[in-house]
Amino acid sequence: MTQAEIKLCSLLLQEHFGEIVEKIGTHLIKTGSQPLRVIANDTGMSLDQVKKALCVLIQHNLVTYQLQKRGFVEYEASCSRVLRILRYPRYIYTAKTLYSDMGELIVEELLLNGKMTMSVVVRKVVNRLTETMEDGKTMDYGEVSNTFVRLADTHFIQRCPMAPETTETLDAPPPPVPTLVVNEKDMYVVPNLNLIGKGKRRRSFDDEDNGEHKAKRQKQDADSKEPPPDDGIYWQTNIDRFHQHFRDQAIVSAVANRMDQIFRSLPAGYNIVKQILDQYLTLLADDPLEFVGKSGDSGGGMYVINLHKALATLATATLESIVQERFGSRCARIFRLLLRKKHLEQKQVEDFAMIPAKEAKDMLYKMLSENFVSLQEIPKTPDHAPSRTFYLYAVNTLSSARMLLHWCYKSVANLIERRQYETKENKRLLEKSQRVEAILASMQATGAEEMQLQEIEEMITAPERQQLENLKRNVNKIDASENQVDETIFVLESYIESTVKKL
Amino acid sequence: MAGSGKGRGRAAFTFNIEAIGFAKGETLPEVAFKPPPLFPPTDFKPVPLKMGEEEDYMLALKQEFRASMKKMPYFMQKEDENQGIEKYSKKYLQMRKESMEWTPAGGKMKKAKVATPKSNVDVLKKIEELEKKGDEEKSDEEKEKEKDKEGEEEEEEAGNEQEEYDEEDHEEENDYIASYFEDGDDFGAGSDDNMDEATY
Repeated sequence: MTQAEIKLCSLLLQEHFGEIVEKIGTHLIKTGSQPLRVIANDTGMSLDQVKKALCVLIQHNLVTYQLQKRGFVEYEASCSRVLRILRYPRYIYTAKTLYSDMGELIVEELLLNGKMTMSVVVRKVVNRLTETMEDGKTMDYGEVSNTFVRLADTHFIQRCPMAPETTETLDAPPPPVPTLVVNEKDMYVVPNLNLIGKGKRRRSFDDEDNGEHKAKRQKQDADSKEPPPDDGIYWQTNIDRFHQHFRDQAIVSAVANRMDQIFRSLPAGYNIVKQILDQYLTLLADDPLEFVGKSGDSGGGMYVINLHKALATLATATLESIVQERFGSRCARIFRLLLRKKHLEQKQVEDFAMIPAKEAKDMLYKMLSENFVSLQEIPKTPDHAPSRTFYLYAVNTLSSARMLLHWCYKSVANLIERRQYETKENKRLLEKSQRVEAILASMQATGAEEMQLQEIEEMITAPERQQLENLKRNVNKIDASENQVDETIFVLESYIESTVKKL
Repeated sequence: MAGSGKGRGRAAFTFNIEAIGFAKGETLPEVAFKPPPLFPPTDFKPVPLKMGEEEDYMLALKQEFRASMKKMPYFMQKEDENQGIEKYSKKYLQMRKESMEWTPAGGKMKKAKVATPKSNVDVLKKIEELEKKGDEEKSDEEKEKEKDKEGEEEEEEAGNEQEEYDEEDHEEENDYIASYFEDGDDFGAGSDDNMDEATY
C-alpha cells in the first residue's frame, strides 16, 4: 500500500463512515492483519468502539476475518476494496442504464448497506419508489422482485458467504469464528419468496386517523415478529461483474470510434448479410489496433477478441493523452514515436520526429526527469566508456502506468481534501442557509404570506448568496473531477491487473 | 594521468558529451540548488471537465450517496467537545440517533438468547471440570463469557480471545509444562535416579 493509497482510503472512510471507523480502518490497512486487542491497544480506542467499527467495516465488505492457527482471530482490511467507494456512483448509474430506476435503487440500497436480505431490499426500494409516485399510486412488490432476480441472473449481485447449517450440539462450544462458506452453485440463486404487497408511503401524523394508525402499527408489529423466510441469505453487489461491464463498454466504444463510418451504416438488429459481416470482421482483424484476431478458419472463420492487447492499447492511449496535455503536442509526437519504435538513440529521435535537435533534446530530458521515458545504456566495450556506449531512449508502458496510477490516487486525495477545506471554511454560512431553508419550508407548509417569505429570504444577504453559489460551483466541480479521475484509475488498474494475472 | 582532461584544471566529463546530444563547448543548463517549487507553473492549462447529462447525473448520485451515508447508523460520529453554547436541539437529535442504533445480524441476537440456557449447561459443566483443577479465576472468566454471548458475534470472539489469553497466562502461572504429561507416558520416569538437582 503506497502512502497515496492509504491517504485516499482514510479520506474515503472518513467521509462515509466517520472518524472512529476511519481511524481503525486506516490502522488495519497500514499494518495488515491484526487481532482485536492489538488494534484497540495501538489505536488507543476502547474495545467497544473497535468492535463496533469492525462490525461496520465487515458489514460493508471492507474487512475480513480469519481464525489463525494459534486460536485467535485476525482482521484484515482490503485497501483496494476501500478505493472502490469512489466508483459507487458509476455502479449505480450503470444499473440505471441496464435495469432502469428499480435496478438503480436496488444497487444503491445494497451499496449503502453492504449486505442485505432480498426481502428487506425489495421492501425499501418499493417504499422509495412509492414516495416518488403521485398521490394514490403505490409500487408493486412484484416488479421490483423481478428486477432483483434479473440482477442476480446476470451476476450483478451475488450471495454473501453464509455460516453453514450446523446441528446444535450441546457439548461442542461454538467456534470463535463462524466459517463462512459460499457454494459456487448457489451464489446467484434467488430464494423463493412470495413477496406480495404494495409500497407504503411515509405519512405524516396529520393525515392519519388515530384508529387506523393503531391498527396499522399492530399489523406491522405482527409482521416483524416472524422472521422473514429468507433470513440469513444476504446479498451484496458483485463489483467484478460491474468492472467486466465497464471494460467491455470501453473496448466497444474504442472500436466504434475507430470504425465510425462503418458502424453508422450498420443496419439495426443483427440481420447483417453474411458477406458484409465477413468484410467487417476481416477489417477488424487486420486493423493495426489488434483488438480482434483471427484464430482459425473452422466454421467459416473463428474470431477472438484480444483482451490483453485491448486493455494495453487503452492504457497507452491514456498515457499519450496525458503526455500531450502536460508537455505539448511535440513531446507527444516523440512519445508516440518511442512507443512505436521501442528503442531509439538521441539522433534517431531527432530524425524521425523531424524536430530540431535542441528542442528534441530539451523535451526528451523533460520527459526523462518526469519518468515518462527511460534511458538504457548499451556498452560497446567492456569498460563501459561513455564515448563508446549507446544510449537508448524507451518507454516502459507498465511502469509509466503504475506511476500515473499513483498520481491519480494522489490527485483524488488532494481533491477531496480541498473540497473538505472549502466546505469547512464556509461552514457557518452553510449552516445559516440550511436553517433559513428549513424556516422557509415550514412557513410555506403552514401557509405564510409573500411578505414574510421575502423577509426570511433576505436574511441571507446578496454577497452571502454569491459566496454560497461560488461554494456550490466549486464543490460540484471538484466532485465531478473526482468521478472523472476515477475513470482513468479504472483504465490503468485494468491494464496493470491484466499484466499481473495470467489467466 | 588521473583526471587530466582536455585542459589542465578545466572541468571535463568522463564521457563524450556529444553522445547525449550537447554540442561541444555549449553552455549547459543550470544546476538546481533548491528543491523544485511546490506549485510549479504549468505551460498548459488542464483540459476542461467532461460535461453532459451522464456526468451531471453521476455527480448528483455521488452527493446524494454521501449525504445518505452520513444519516445511516453506520456513520459513527465522534463525540464533539462542547462547542461553548450547547444547542437545545442537540438533546433531541441524540435521542433520535440512539433509537437508530444498529447491531449486525439482528436475527442472531435471538439465536444467542436461545442458546444461553444451553450455554449455561456448557458453562456449568466447564466450571465443574475446572474446579477439579482448582482454579477460581476460570469460573469468573466463564461468567464473563456467558455475558458476552448475549451480545454480538464479535464479542463472542473477544470473549474467547480473552479466554485464550488468560488461558496462556494461567498456564504460565504454574511451572508445569502441560504438554509433557498429555500422553500419559512416564516422561520423567526414566531420569528419576534420586537426583534432586538438575542435570548439567
